[in-house]
Amino acid sequence: MSDVLTSVLRRRGWTLLLALLLFALPFYLDAFWLRIGLFSMAAAIGAVGIGLLSGTAGQLSLGHAFFLAVGAYGYVWLAGEPGPGLPPALAVLLAVLLAGAAGGLFSPVAGRVKGIYLGVATLALVFLGHHVLLTADSVTGGFNGRSVPPLELGGFSFTEADPGLTVLGVPFGAEERLWYLGLALFALTWFTARGLLRGRPGRALVALRDSETAASVMGVHVAKYRSAAFVVSSMYAGLAGVLLALSFRRVVPDYFSLALSVDYLAMIVIGGLGSVAGATAGAVFVTGLPLLMTRYADQLPLVATPGSGDGSIGPTEAARYLYGAAIVVILLYAPDGLHGLARRTRARLRRRPPVTVPSETGPAPGTSATTARAKEHTP
Amino acid sequence: MTGLLDNLLNGVALGSVYALIALGFVTIFKASGVLSFAHGSLLLLGGYLVAVLHDDLGFAGALALAVVVTALVAGALDRLVLQRVGTDSHAAHVQTIVTIGIDILLVTDLARRIGGDLLTLGDPWGDSVTDLGPVTVADSRIAAIVVSAVAIAGAFALFRFTPWGLSLRAAAEDAEAAALMGVRLTRVRAIAWCLAGGLAALAAVFLVAFPAPGLERTTGQIALKAFPAAILGGMASPVGALVGSMLIGLTEALVAGYQSDLHVLGEGFGDVAPYAVMVLVLLVRPTGLFAARGAARV
Amino acid sequence: MTTRTTTPPALHVRDVTVRFAGLTALDDVSFTVAPGTLHAVIGPNGAGKSTCFNVLSGLYRPARGSVRLGDEELTRLAPHRIAALGVARTFQNIVTTQGTVADNLMLGRHVLSRSGFAASALRLPRALREQREHLAAARGIAELTGLGEHFETPVALLSYGDRKRVELARALCLEPRVLLLDEPVAGMNAAERARTAEVVRDIRAELGLSVVLVEHDMGLVMRLADEVTVLDFGKAIAHGTPDEVRGDPEVLRAYLGTETTGEDAA
Repeated sequence: MSDVLTSVLRRRGWTLLLALLLFALPFYLDAFWLRIGLFSMAAAIGAVGIGLLSGTAGQLSLGHAFFLAVGAYGYVWLAGEPGPGLPPALAVLLAVLLAGAAGGLFSPVAGRVKGIYLGVATLALVFLGHHVLLTADSVTGGFNGRSVPPLELGGFSFTEADPGLTVLGVPFGAEERLWYLGLALFALTWFTARGLLRGRPGRALVALRDSETAASVMGVHVAKYRSAAFVVSSMYAGLAGVLLALSFRRVVPDYFSLALSVDYLAMIVIGGLGSVAGATAGAVFVTGLPLLMTRYADQLPLVATPGSGDGSIGPTEAARYLYGAAIVVILLYAPDGLHGLARRTRARLRRRPPVTVPSETGPAPGTSATTARAKEHTP
Repeated sequence: MTGLLDNLLNGVALGSVYALIALGFVTIFKASGVLSFAHGSLLLLGGYLVAVLHDDLGFAGALALAVVVTALVAGALDRLVLQRVGTDSHAAHVQTIVTIGIDILLVTDLARRIGGDLLTLGDPWGDSVTDLGPVTVADSRIAAIVVSAVAIAGAFALFRFTPWGLSLRAAAEDAEAAALMGVRLTRVRAIAWCLAGGLAALAAVFLVAFPAPGLERTTGQIALKAFPAAILGGMASPVGALVGSMLIGLTEALVAGYQSDLHVLGEGFGDVAPYAVMVLVLLVRPTGLFAARGAARV
Repeated sequence: MTTRTTTPPALHVRDVTVRFAGLTALDDVSFTVAPGTLHAVIGPNGAGKSTCFNVLSGLYRPARGSVRLGDEELTRLAPHRIAALGVARTFQNIVTTQGTVADNLMLGRHVLSRSGFAASALRLPRALREQREHLAAARGIAELTGLGEHFETPVALLSYGDRKRVELARALCLEPRVLLLDEPVAGMNAAERARTAEVVRDIRAELGLSVVLVEHDMGLVMRLADEVTVLDFGKAIAHGTPDEVRGDPEVLRAYLGTETTGEDAA
């Protein structure tokens, strides 16, 4: 029993240390790094959501960009002009609920179409959504998009507001302020997603992924849980969309493309399916990589600075090569992603034989126990 | 009236090109249970090869070489990358995600080469048109219908009359039993990928022919519209894929043709109409129009 | 936490017919499982035993016929509704999910617990309390089925016999009124078989539930069953006590005649 206690303490200790570090970073990093962090936090929130859907429930989604857009545009419209001009904090909440409602509207499909087929069905959301963003310009501003009203919370503005704010000698601009907002939202995401995964819904979703038959005879309402996973994942996406909008300060339709959906899928594959920490690691990797490559393009071999002649490999492209390759290599050689690598390394460091559990190596979306599958159709 | 005929003809032309792509999806799916998200990049590869080769080889030579090369690349991707994941049914899901990674790699590379340019493929039809009674049709569309029909007939002949076709059907029925009876699944599926790759390269030519402006870096995304077509057809049925493709092609052409009457839906709705149709069909039949219905309820 | 202590209602299977694309897998099958008894369904491979289980648990909808548990008609209900009525089952080939024995057993507590997405996400005190209580119950069932020491072990690391027992324990976690066991000892060695038989006997004595058992091990069937239904080519060809069935010429011809010991025809 004391073993369990110390291990819990040890794990909490690390979390505490990490939290402290993240808390202190704005005092040491400049705006560039803070922006990377901010985008990563937003992406991590979204990735945790799609991880819950695709990694845990085994439902592939390529429609995540749509729900990010619903969150982002929802906030912009609700808090802005034209729009009801609600208090921004309320607009954030409603935007998240709106994304959830959008996911709920899709649930007749999301609840009944399973695994990789849902991935194809959700393509529709991205393309139809993009079309709506371009067309409904009274709400979305059309092709040029809309500027994002700043978030204000009890008189505190998350911008470079006058009067400026200086904490311990460090001027607090938009990035510093948004950093703490992002941190708070990410902490909320972490807390709730882990609660879900370790609780009754999480177990039901895992069962659904591994064997629909077993889950249903154990009393799991298959369609209901599939829909619910979709809705919850949409809400996380909506929250990520709000944070992205606040960070970008402008939303445009072309950002919310299929490529963005694929980015989020890449995050959870690279991070390792089915774990919150993995999704976070993947989000930081996929988000940070192109930004870092752009910044250090002149120092990297084979990578040209942005805007130099055709045919050369620009930093964004180099980043896409890298993570495209990462997806292929990881699925071929380390199907449990960064999360699994970390776990194995930890196990090795403790000089224990590495624990490799065949079924724990994050199964892909849509995985189900083959035994159950075979069973379903035999008379 | 001529308007309607025009639109219908456009729809059939578009549908036959989608059918080339959708048939590829379905063949791959039957052989391996994989949904190929790499199809857009294969299509782009085929189109790109024709674009860079036609000056030296002439259009026909370039097309022939592009079809062969794309087919080989597709087959090699399956044999050398996807099949390494394994061949059981769990692996099919992982392989599907791997195709997304492959797509990112190929599209990134091709898009970098194409840059912001519009490439022409040097096809012999150009912008010429033919009068067919009351309607005037672009030659490229007639060519699309004729060539697609021939290619599709050829593919069906392969399914029906070759040992490979038999193996493919056996593998789709029950992969394990087929393997026990001596079907070499690895080869069956590699050939399926080759066929799909070749068809995609062929489709590329007609997708970027007149009145489309030419090959762009985003041309590959059009391949995704064949997904709704394949899904509507139930994913595992070649005939279903044909019907689905026609449905999608006609929808797109009719919506685009009557855009002025459908302006509430916004400009360019034709491009996304296939997806709307897919969602509507999935609402009614989550397994597609042509999927077999079993006794199982879940 | 709810516990079902009352005696289970009778399970009536009446004229159940299942067809697959022209093939009749079950043909007018009828039998009754009296409350609290162990009812074995036996027959050669392909006789329709598993199909019968799939009808009972709601995975197949029969073309005709009815299955009633007390006053409830089961054939119209989805599998999760049937589970909620207290019908639990195991599978012929092991179907466990990722994670530890505890995770699998907690899945068995699904219908007995409430916590939804919101309560679990926010870790409300009642969700945490519920989780604790059910974990304790699951541990108790693990002890009962001899899995106590493996409670925190990932299922994938367990032996074949233990994994089969995880399925049994998971079904028991549902606190079923009717337990459907599909070849619970298939592939086990003699010691494991004896142990599982003992567990089945114990849980019946302790929990007073009805058990429907599909099994090829005739020795086990004869020892445990109160009543036996014999299926052959989708038809019920005999009913009775083990002794009656053993002497039935029809049964001997269809089933036992080809295999005198009946030891695991698979």
